[in-house]
Amino acid sequence: MLTYLPKRIGQGLLTVFLTVSVVFLLIRMAPGDPAASFAGPLATNEQLAAVREQFGLDKPLLQQYVIFIGQLFTGHLGQSYSFQAPAVQVVMDRLPYTLTLATSSILLAALVAIPLGMWMARRSDTDAELGVNVLTIAGQSMPDFWTGIMLLTGFSVLIPLFPASGFTTWGGLVLPTITVAILQIALVSRMVKREMVTNFNAPYLNIARSRGVSERVLTWKYALGNAGIPVFTALGTRFAAMLNGVVVVEVVFGWPGVGSLIVRALETRDYPLIQATVLITALLAVVVQLLIDLAYPLLDPRVRLGKAASA
Amino acid sequence: MSTTISNPTQAPQSARSSAVTKQMLKKSSAARRARSTRIKLWLGTILTLVVVVPIALANLLPIADPNMQDLGARRLAPLVDGHLFGTDQLGRDLLSRVLFGGQTSLMIGVLAVVVSGAIGVILGSIAGFYGKWADVIISRVLEAQMSLPLLMMLLLVVALFGPSIPVITGVIAIAQWPEVARLTRSLVLVEREKPYVDAAKTLGLPKLRILAQHVIPNVFKQASLVILLLLAQAVLLESALSFLGAGPQRPFSTWGRLISDGQDYITTSWWMVTLPGLFIVILVVGVNLLGDALRDGNLRRSSKKEGK
Repeated sequence: MLTYLPKRIGQGLLTVFLTVSVVFLLIRMAPGDPAASFAGPLATNEQLAAVREQFGLDKPLLQQYVIFIGQLFTGHLGQSYSFQAPAVQVVMDRLPYTLTLATSSILLAALVAIPLGMWMARRSDTDAELGVNVLTIAGQSMPDFWTGIMLLTGFSVLIPLFPASGFTTWGGLVLPTITVAILQIALVSRMVKREMVTNFNAPYLNIARSRGVSERVLTWKYALGNAGIPVFTALGTRFAAMLNGVVVVEVVFGWPGVGSLIVRALETRDYPLIQATVLITALLAVVVQLLIDLAYPLLDPRVRLGKAASA
Repeated sequence: MSTTISNPTQAPQSARSSAVTKQMLKKSSAARRARSTRIKLWLGTILTLVVVVPIALANLLPIADPNMQDLGARRLAPLVDGHLFGTDQLGRDLLSRVLFGGQTSLMIGVLAVVVSGAIGVILGSIAGFYGKWADVIISRVLEAQMSLPLLMMLLLVVALFGPSIPVITGVIAIAQWPEVARLTRSLVLVEREKPYVDAAKTLGLPKLRILAQHVIPNVFKQASLVILLLLAQAVLLESALSFLGAGPQRPFSTWGRLISDGQDYITTSWWMVTLPGLFIVILVVGVNLLGDALRDGNLRRSSKKEGK
């Protein structure tokens, strides 16, 4: 444990550092001049040069990178060009929205997918299960932007139950949550089913049954207890991935989160904003992943961190 | 509950007529599982063909030119004036646009899968077969890429190199190779311990040749099962990129672009978004079902072989 934690934190920080470095290089290789999009089409060459100097874009790439590394340590990543505010601040303002959407989606997914997967495992290979199985395949086959537009048309245009865009009331959370959750439900319920079936067929369960353990305890305590660990990891990993912004769904619903922010930042070549977004979301994802790994021994006493956790 | 646990009904060995009826055999879990796999296989094939055949034959079908505008026939509803799927905001035939757009979407998907499959199989088998530093480097790159925000990186790269078809294909391939590589690596790890590899080494065959001529052909079939699932993902990824405006540019009208164009008219012309979307869903469901059924079938066969 004492060597495990520093090692994991080190690995996580390295991943974040490499990610932001790759992004730093990529956006500077990209065509398109942030100075031009900032100063407007009528700007003279002198004005463009002034803007570049103001943003520090006239310096050699290596020097810009050194400055950027320095900024990483101070936590101040410069002013966003388009928002005229500290980039980190802009991202932090958007973060709660993405967090809300990700949390509600993962909760809905877990609430639906775990019972559904258990039902599928118990009714394995019946006609009803086949039907649900095909439905889950459909769930993972629908493009989320299309599902979103369909729900939007159905439940806010034709039947005006929910607001169409943005996040002004809690009702605005319903449709984006469902849109994001559909895919997660499909994937997680299939995984729950697989794990449960494996456990149902495991020798230990037959032995427990022969000793007279009731079916209810077998299902809920034995099988679900063992199946729960990989499922928990999967849910956590999906949650971590969502923190990078549920880009497409946020764009469809005009959700003021990190995902729609990054699309806008890419369009306007807002370098500090892109860097800040990537840095913060990558950091968050690494932290969530670490928390999941740390929670492992609590769920499964057989796991000793630092030995089995790497497997 | 008991359905998943009970053993398949077994016929007694003796010669006298069995107490086990045909109906009981049909109800056994093994028979039912085989039946679900068969149904998935057929359903998947039908759904895939429903989409792929018209797309493949689009040039031969008697449909309007996808780019021919008719401003007098803007946003006609489906089935009006011989437009099966209606027309879009410039009076272009939607069916024709969906089919020709599908050619681009499918081509990108297939190419991306071929490229990612090749990269994945080569790098994965190198990592699995040679081990040591090759494995360390490739596995680290895999892990690093899987922790990157995927769609964000794809958008970034497309912004960098421009949304041309080779770039989009490459980007999707790069997004997908880790899955193939991980699978191949784990298969090769098992395969390289088999006696025939030792035999080949004893005979003095160079390592690269053992890998290329003996190991890879042996794992290829199992690794290729993931291809259909990747194709489904590739089609979805391409449509998402197109929807965000990072897809192939004019004159190519891919499915994602059709949907994003139609979004502005959703309240008055539902078909412009709904129908292209349904095409994607039918294709991807079909391909996923096929992939699922093939994987089920393969799992059962391999577990039978090993006597589990």
